[in-house]
Amino acid sequence: MDHPVVHEVSARDGFLPIKTNAFDRGFIGVVFGIFLHLLWMRFLEQAIPLWVCTILTVLLGIYIVKRG
Amino acid sequence: MRSPVTGWLFLAPTILVLTVFGFVPFIYVAFVGFFDWNPFAANPDLVFAGVNNYRRLVFDNQFLRSIGLTLQFTFWVVLSQLIIGYLLAQLFMRDFPLKGLFRTIHTLPLLVAPIAVGAAWRLLCVPGLGPLPYYLNRWFGIDFRLGSFEHQAFITTVVMDIWHWTPLVTLTLLAGLSAMPKEPFESAQVDGANRWQIFWHIMLPLLKPVLITTTFIRLMDALRTVDEVWMLTGGGPGTATRYIGLHIWRVVFPQTDYGYGAAMSLMTLYLTIMLCWFLYVGLVARKPRAS
Amino acid sequence: MKKKGIVLPLVVWCVMTLITLLPIWWLFVVSMRTRVQLFGRPSLLLDGFYWGNYVEVLENEEFRFYLWNSIIVATSNCLIVTVLAFLATFALSRYKLAGEDSLFFWLITNRMAPAAVFLLPLFLLYTQVFRLGDFQLFDTRIGLILLYCVFNLPFAIWLLKGIMDGIPKELDEAAMIDGASTFQVLTRVVMPLAKPGLAVTAILTWMFAWNEYLFAATLTSVEARTITTGLAEFVTVTGTNWGELAALSMLTLAPALIFLGFVQRHIVAGLTFGAVKE
Repeated sequence: MDHPVVHEVSARDGFLPIKTNAFDRGFIGVVFGIFLHLLWMRFLEQAIPLWVCTILTVLLGIYIVKRG
Repeated sequence: MRSPVTGWLFLAPTILVLTVFGFVPFIYVAFVGFFDWNPFAANPDLVFAGVNNYRRLVFDNQFLRSIGLTLQFTFWVVLSQLIIGYLLAQLFMRDFPLKGLFRTIHTLPLLVAPIAVGAAWRLLCVPGLGPLPYYLNRWFGIDFRLGSFEHQAFITTVVMDIWHWTPLVTLTLLAGLSAMPKEPFESAQVDGANRWQIFWHIMLPLLKPVLITTTFIRLMDALRTVDEVWMLTGGGPGTATRYIGLHIWRVVFPQTDYGYGAAMSLMTLYLTIMLCWFLYVGLVARKPRAS
Repeated sequence: MKKKGIVLPLVVWCVMTLITLLPIWWLFVVSMRTRVQLFGRPSLLLDGFYWGNYVEVLENEEFRFYLWNSIIVATSNCLIVTVLAFLATFALSRYKLAGEDSLFFWLITNRMAPAAVFLLPLFLLYTQVFRLGDFQLFDTRIGLILLYCVFNLPFAIWLLKGIMDGIPKELDEAAMIDGASTFQVLTRVVMPLAKPGLAVTAILTWMFAWNEYLFAATLTSVEARTITTGLAEFVTVTGTNWGELAALSMLTLAPALIFLGFVQRHIVAGLTFGAVKE
């Protein structure tokens, strides 16, 4: 499928398996963040409160956007 | 002459309609998902609930089960359709009499209302009336009762979907095959490659773009199948064929638990996007994006 | 590629045709039988014409109303969508607009969303939010007509975009130089050339609107029910009146049979968002 480039941001190679631009990486960060929260709620929330996950997610998000 | 204002004027009604009926509902469902809202409860107003709805959702076994069922259904449907569709498309590459007529008839299921497809298959399957239970019992000794056996119900929904949508796969792959250059195949034959090698090393790479497009389109349609299955089995027996669309529709509305339903809807959208994205990366991985 | 025997494809395609037609043929056979004839050994052959089921359905006030609603909704939706898509694609293909690629992408994504996800928000919006005094969109034909634009417009725009790009720009530029207004260019120059494409778009949008069930079932209750919801209710309400169910199903799929010949060449391009052309 052709994915038209939505934002004219230069694509580059990071640790992610595909070339991404800043918009893609932001999207990936959010998608993974949500997923992490869901897993956390299911398996870890009895032991560790959810805001720990939020902090982790934000850190992970920054890492993905910077290095992905 | 060509002022952009006129252009935007022409686009305005389209944008307006799609915003109000496409974008606003999306925002709205995201909003309601964070609230408790049951108009028939003691407090009929929206009460902010944070992520409680999602907390409930990840432990909702019925919901998780219907997601699992949807994935199974989608997997079998898309896989079978790709295989059958490919073989049929290959047959269409040859010349034989009445090809146009066969093709036209093959297209018919694509235009039939899904609800009528469901009705037709239901009539085929009703015990004591339909030919399917009768002949399956007579020829193979199978006791075919959709209302009682979960596996039969599941398989029948898969078969029905294959009947309904294989033509689309056939026709897209046919278009892909017709547009293919002949030289690689001829030179491969000269080099003495066998049929399997030709298929694997030449046919598949050349067909890949069309194959991926078809897979994605079928995938997204299969994930949201509701009408036919509702008509054929009503989601039963039990919850054996209650795919996610049916689940949202049949569970949320009668319960009027709108906040929770909104969370469920949004989660379905999220999972759909995730699945498609992962497949996109998996299938088109390491390929630089066009820019 | 190799052109081998014609026997294999011919045999396979005869079998495929039988399989394709079987459910629809069975609907027809059932709709042609009386209640008594239905049970016992299910014969796939037609044993005579009996129009009683069709008469029953068409004499039923309610079903006539459903049929009428469906016709109104599908036709108005098809007209609105075709006109709007015509204007939109004209703008997209003839004007330089900032961000039109993003806009086009966004228009198309509207179609990809799973319908079930939007049922609840639309139901809530229709019953609680979109209202003017006593008027609410819930259970009105206009509500359905506007909603169907959401999945028909992207499709129509896809289909027409290709056609519009295929009409040479020089033609309308020449007309402009001759002093024609934009409106005249649209109606006198572009429209005649785009006519076949417009016809296909109109037929397919009409079909999609006619076939739609989920939204029609959720967003209407009495006044705007369509034929597909009537068909679904039939099963749950009357249970076992199979002959009439089959007759109603035949009426529901009749447009598909009528239009099949016109649009079969274009339906693939339509259903794959033009990603696959023939």
